[in-house]
Amino acid sequence: MTDAPATASSSPWRQLWASWPTRLCLLVVLLFTLAALVAEVARDYYLLRDLTPPWQQQDISAAYLPPSLHHPCGTDGLGRDVLLRLLQGARISFLVGIVSSLIAIPLGVLLGLLAGYYGKWLDEAVVWLCTTFAAIPGLLFVLAIALVVGKGLLGVFVALGLTTWTSTCRLIRAETLRHRSFGYAQAARALGFSSPRILFRHILPNVAHVALVSFTLRFPGAIGTEVFLSFLGIGVQNEPSWGTMLSSARLRLWQGVWWELTAVTIAIFLVVLAFNLLGDALRDALDPRLRSRPQT
Amino acid sequence: MLRFLTRRILLALPTVLGIVLITFFLFNVVGGSPASNVLGQNASPQALADFDARGGYDLPLFLGRWTKNRALPDVDFAAAAPSELARWHADPDGLHLAPGAELDLPLYFPLPAGNTWRLDLDVTAGALASPDSLPATFPSDAPPRLVAGPDGATLAAIRLRRATRGLFDSQLVRYFRELAHLDFGISTSLNRPVAAILLAGIGPSLLLTVPILVCELLLSLTLALWCAYFHGRLLDRLLVAVSVAIMSINYIVFIILGQFFLGFKLHLFPVWGFESWANLLLPVLIGTFTGLGSSVRFYRTILLEEMNREYVMTARAKGLPTSRILFRHVLRNALSPVVTNVVLSLPYLYTGSLLLESFFGIPGLGYLSINAINSSDFVTIRAIVLVGAVLCTLANLLADVALAAVDPRVKLS
Repeated sequence: MTDAPATASSSPWRQLWASWPTRLCLLVVLLFTLAALVAEVARDYYLLRDLTPPWQQQDISAAYLPPSLHHPCGTDGLGRDVLLRLLQGARISFLVGIVSSLIAIPLGVLLGLLAGYYGKWLDEAVVWLCTTFAAIPGLLFVLAIALVVGKGLLGVFVALGLTTWTSTCRLIRAETLRHRSFGYAQAARALGFSSPRILFRHILPNVAHVALVSFTLRFPGAIGTEVFLSFLGIGVQNEPSWGTMLSSARLRLWQGVWWELTAVTIAIFLVVLAFNLLGDALRDALDPRLRSRPQT
Repeated sequence: MLRFLTRRILLALPTVLGIVLITFFLFNVVGGSPASNVLGQNASPQALADFDARGGYDLPLFLGRWTKNRALPDVDFAAAAPSELARWHADPDGLHLAPGAELDLPLYFPLPAGNTWRLDLDVTAGALASPDSLPATFPSDAPPRLVAGPDGATLAAIRLRRATRGLFDSQLVRYFRELAHLDFGISTSLNRPVAAILLAGIGPSLLLTVPILVCELLLSLTLALWCAYFHGRLLDRLLVAVSVAIMSINYIVFIILGQFFLGFKLHLFPVWGFESWANLLLPVLIGTFTGLGSSVRFYRTILLEEMNREYVMTARAKGLPTSRILFRHVLRNALSPVVTNVVLSLPYLYTGSLLLESFFGIPGLGYLSINAINSSDFVTIRAIVLVGAVLCTLANLLADVALAAVDPRVKLS
């Protein structure tokens, strides 16, 4: 975002740390991670004890309470505390972002490396696969995969993982193609190192920043897609997630219950904004050339 | 130009083939028959089989002489469910037949006429008097009766197969043949040909998406030009900040709030329906606004990149005012990525806006898709995904051609 000129002497990390918006974003991401972890521990605790967790405890007499000291974000139609449900939603969002990245990024990096380095028919096959996957309209593809895999988190993971690897793959492939002809790679080849060794020990560390930037930039999309799928009812089932909360808050808004919608909106906004800004800052610091390519 | 065009079209063919294969893999191989999803858990095997036969789900996936059926699902007693064991009066060791005992196959329904069948049995102990050779083939009207030999017999597994009309009588070949006839099958939720449904849905979708595309393009280009003109100054920073903020607010929230405040509270627009042009105002407004964030940023990046070129420096050195540089030089040179971006977004006109259409009750393809997903209508979804993907490939092709037509440098590479 900030177009601050990079001085040649400062390391990209120092340059990142120097700007206060980036530090703020890092703080938000850290808090988000912490919230997700706390929610996970709490969930496991109640699961282990076989108790009804407080975010599922219904109390009709406490339904639709506006925000107060006792319920900082109010309660929903079944008297459940919105803040606790929001934390559980953070857990789901975090999980979706991480797990779908664990599918998409290794897939994209591996195929991109192989295609860029070995070329020939392998390259053509990978490019064909990339073009084909990228040709299918994203959201429709996600919906179709989620529908086939079945309702639930697994469908969300698989759908997101299988549809978003193509951009990472393309970037890594182009980068590998460039690095293959660099002096250090040629030197390694002249020394008689094996291809896998050159590829994974020498080239991979030099293109890994692309994966990091991809990871950060795809997180907001992953969160948005989970919200979308859960909102439609084919994502998370029987658990509080930001999508399902939005879906119920939508109907209650017309009855004047604004706090659930507001809480979810702000939570999504803060997390997505932090990731967007952080991703931009990372990209600008690590490899500004990535910027010129259109975003997907 | 002609050679370029031919080569480009030939390059697109493998992609189209890949798209067909992916949709097939996704819906037929992974998804399988949607019969029980569509007909419900309590549907009779006969109804399920009829459904499969209509949709071609009773054929082998890729190729094969023999195919499974629902009249007598495969049974392997060692792994069978208790209900299955009870149906056969068998235990996990197998189905025990006393010496000379007779057993008619417990078919769920009479075998569809006019087919050849093959019965294969795993006999683990004793022998059968009839059928005397395994696997046994027979016509639909004469299913064999199992007769145990003098020592009795124990069967571990039973498999019944129907003969296909040939090695290539498969789901994949059927899929290709149907597509060659532009036949997308029959929707399982609406019971109408999918092709007709798609045609009916395109109109409303375009009514919504074309205005969004045009408004968004004009607005975001204008704003991006302002950004470029005031680069680094307050207006530029403000616009960028607002763009990022718009990108970070969830799409669904925009629709909910827009519908609630502008439609419901302020009564500025109708909230729901598809009767007059007034119904389209609010969804177009929301759609334009939500897309603004990313496109302003995108066009701004393109324009700024162009402003760093040497010809701009020359123009500046000549003393040209910024506005003239921007409009006469930069905008013209930045046109090709803009054109590419617009052409690439054309297929999304067809898929419509999934959420906007459902929220506002516009009977376009987005609305259709959501309904089809809610009723597990694989056939319709498959067709919408396929057509969308093919349109994307076409748009890619068109973008390349347009680029080559606009920019002579492209052809050389």
